[in-house]
Amino acid sequence: MNDTRTRGRLVARHIGLAALLLAAGAPAVLAQSASGAAVVARGWAIRNVTVVPVTGPRIEHGTVVIRNGKIEAVGADAAAQPGDSVLDGTGLFVYPGMIDAGTRLGLTEISSVPGGEDQQELGEFNPQDAALTAVNPHSDVIPVTRSNGVTTAITSPRGGLVSGQAALIDLLGWTPQEMAVRAPAAMVMTYPRTGGGRFARRGRQGEGDQLNRQVLALREFLGDARAYAEIKARLAAGAPGAQPTNLGLEAMVPVMRGDVPVIFDVETAEQIRGVLALADSFGLKVVLRGAQEAWRLADTLAARHIPVIVGPTTTGVGPDEPYDEIYANPGVLAKAGVTIAFQTNDAHDSRNLPYNAALAEAYGLPADDALKALTINPARIFGVADRLGSIEPGKEATLMVTDGDPLDARVGRKYIFIRGELVPFNDRHSRLYEEFRARPKS
Amino acid sequence: MNSRLRMAGGECSGQLRDGELRVVPRVRKAEALGAATLLLLLAAGVAVAQEPGPFTMPVPPAAHLVAITNATILTVTHGTIPRGTIVIREGKIAAVGADVAVPAGAQVIDAAGRYVMPGIIDEHSHSAIEVVNEGSNVVTAEVRMADVVREDMPTIYWQLAGGVTTINVLHGSANAIGGQDAVLKLRWGLPVDSLLFEGAPLGIKFALGENPKQSNFDVPGRPRRYPATRMGVEEVLRDAFTRAVAYRTEWQRYEAARRSLRRGQPEPIPPRRDLQLDALVEVMDGRRLVHAHCYRSDEILMLLRVAHDFGFRVASLEHGLEAYKVADEIAAAGTGVSTFADFWGYKLEAYDAIPYNAALLTQHGVAVAINSDDDERARRLYQDAAKTMHYGGVSETDALKMITLNPARMLGIENRVGSIDVGKDADLAIFSAHPFAPASRVEMTLVDGRVFFDRDTAPTLEHLLEQLRGQREHRRQGGAAGRGGQ
Repeated sequence: MNDTRTRGRLVARHIGLAALLLAAGAPAVLAQSASGAAVVARGWAIRNVTVVPVTGPRIEHGTVVIRNGKIEAVGADAAAQPGDSVLDGTGLFVYPGMIDAGTRLGLTEISSVPGGEDQQELGEFNPQDAALTAVNPHSDVIPVTRSNGVTTAITSPRGGLVSGQAALIDLLGWTPQEMAVRAPAAMVMTYPRTGGGRFARRGRQGEGDQLNRQVLALREFLGDARAYAEIKARLAAGAPGAQPTNLGLEAMVPVMRGDVPVIFDVETAEQIRGVLALADSFGLKVVLRGAQEAWRLADTLAARHIPVIVGPTTTGVGPDEPYDEIYANPGVLAKAGVTIAFQTNDAHDSRNLPYNAALAEAYGLPADDALKALTINPARIFGVADRLGSIEPGKEATLMVTDGDPLDARVGRKYIFIRGELVPFNDRHSRLYEEFRARPKS
Repeated sequence: MNSRLRMAGGECSGQLRDGELRVVPRVRKAEALGAATLLLLLAAGVAVAQEPGPFTMPVPPAAHLVAITNATILTVTHGTIPRGTIVIREGKIAAVGADVAVPAGAQVIDAAGRYVMPGIIDEHSHSAIEVVNEGSNVVTAEVRMADVVREDMPTIYWQLAGGVTTINVLHGSANAIGGQDAVLKLRWGLPVDSLLFEGAPLGIKFALGENPKQSNFDVPGRPRRYPATRMGVEEVLRDAFTRAVAYRTEWQRYEAARRSLRRGQPEPIPPRRDLQLDALVEVMDGRRLVHAHCYRSDEILMLLRVAHDFGFRVASLEHGLEAYKVADEIAAAGTGVSTFADFWGYKLEAYDAIPYNAALLTQHGVAVAINSDDDERARRLYQDAAKTMHYGGVSETDALKMITLNPARMLGIENRVGSIDVGKDADLAIFSAHPFAPASRVEMTLVDGRVFFDRDTAPTLEHLLEQLRGQREHRRQGGAAGRGGQ
């Protein structure tokens, strides 16, 4: 099945490319091998386009040159080389590809069909489980997502107190390893909370005990992880002794060293305070995610340089919260100086990432901050800002060309590039659309 | 004290919604303000009674004469008026246009820089009710959502804050033939009976596919229920209508016998009243609108055949995520489709859902509504409608119709709501920018010309932050004074 699909994709990709070049009026720039299989464009130049680099001012009537997977040049006078394929960007805009900082992409196909579900392991502590292992690169959800300009995503396991390792993946590749931008990108944990979440009545009988037990269990686990990492370091420094390998604690070593951040999924201010205490106790580098009540601690989070992955803003409101809390939270955080990014916390809905940010923009998030929160901020949070998140020379050519503001739900996408490769719009939804649009009249 | 502060249970209740177990927050009226917040407010000397929370807000006065001025008016039926005025008299739109004078004595709402559109109509809702499914029998045409409406659900207020003014509260999709719907106007703060949309035609929910055949929620120990296949779903429908035909015939014979009754003859005995079959007879007589939950194209065709055979029209296919595959057949049946903008992949029958559904159907002349089926999604239907322009190039007017006039037609209330026209109810949503623009938000929502949501007085996060800052300041000053006194 996969063979058929990938073959189909290859063919479609080439047809799409050829059609595009014809449409763009490009000269014959394709180098075709004798077998006719490999079609390689030497480079791309998107001309006369409005460039929105995110990290710098807009460039009107600019050019973006792409070569060898990278952005080679950007600017009003960026020069293409002879033989480069030219895309006319008149009336169009170039933005960096968007990064969804929390998804289940590749780990689910049809939510109600258990055979395709690989999001959640059994048990409370699974630091050794890596999302990348279970990413199905041929999931139909992935092309659907990238067609709307979400080119890169954190994909996370979930469940338990320590869910496992999240991976940052590009939404293009024949294997999970080809897709990986950074893996592990983070260790995913959930800070314990009273049962039922924020919609439930707090302080129900017995819940406090349960909460304390879970917090203690998490602390004990982190204590073990710290000891394991310390022993490992001392052994490496030549201290006599031995330590049997524990796969779970082994996976925690880079976390305890501060090389890999911990994403804490939280909702309430109480949980956030708990995370801050854990971070202090164990020297963890933490990233908050969800965090609907982070606005209550905005100044603290800013002062401590703790980033917050907000969203989805398409979440309901608790009965004792302001009606616009979920929309206004990102704006309060950004204005306080907190680095924010957005997540959809979903797979099928990941394509709607920019509209999550639009809801926040409507309720106080400045437009520039909204755009950063979809691009450069998540790149910074996960340590890949040298590769992704803005339109700058030397960065990976992972970008989108749109008809306008990508946060505007009316606005379409013209071209998507991932690592310099022009990605065809041949996702499941486009295919069905074309198929049934052509259905003969009954 | 406002009667809305009466205590109610604060527990969560598990409810079957579209066949899935969900935890639905129950209303916590007094608690809604937040006990901690209350104490803090008291400590800070803030007059709690004046706190403008959704649960303590006074019922807005009925406005006799209102004028919304300087607005960009999206009429839906006759274009956009760039700088116009809407005059509202006794809750009805009395005038609309660029050159309309503001009558003397009118309460003026200056909407300069703002956009006014008809109040959003959510054609598929399960909001403001106690329970969604009577999931026991496969045919429950006798149960009525109107009997379980709750006027005190905060979601009513939150949806007003998303520009929604009318919702069609449907029975869930657990049964092939579900219960009777209730069309509501979101008159937040008024007694429960005031929420019912007076004069709205009767309706009923049908459901096909995975939910009535119970594919996704096998409960251990619970016996399976017929039907378990799409074959069985059709049979259930045909069986129910066959019984309804026989029942109708019985009544027709009885009525005929009564009409031809001669003096001295004994009075004929009426058939036993059957509330379930009454509702189905109303369907066949065209007096009750069918809103049918469905996904796959084959089951849509099945339903259209059944409806044809029993002589009724299906008012709307609910979800109809594969409707685009049989757009011609649906158009020929004169049936509308009330769908999601782009929700997909949550079950097998939603795997071929595409965001182009609305566009393809529109191209084939099928009326389309974009619905929520969800308290949260209902708050941003304007954003969902905008997506249809992106996917398949629906025009702006057609996209607007999908959350206004088209659902009004599916519910048979288009003479009352769904556009900004003289004579219609003044159900309006005022946005800060074009409702489809990315940074647009609802500033004010009117039902019958009454302002039921106003962001200026709404309990926003911004207001709460100001209060918290005020309290912090107050504590700081109080603390300093305390130290000074020692």
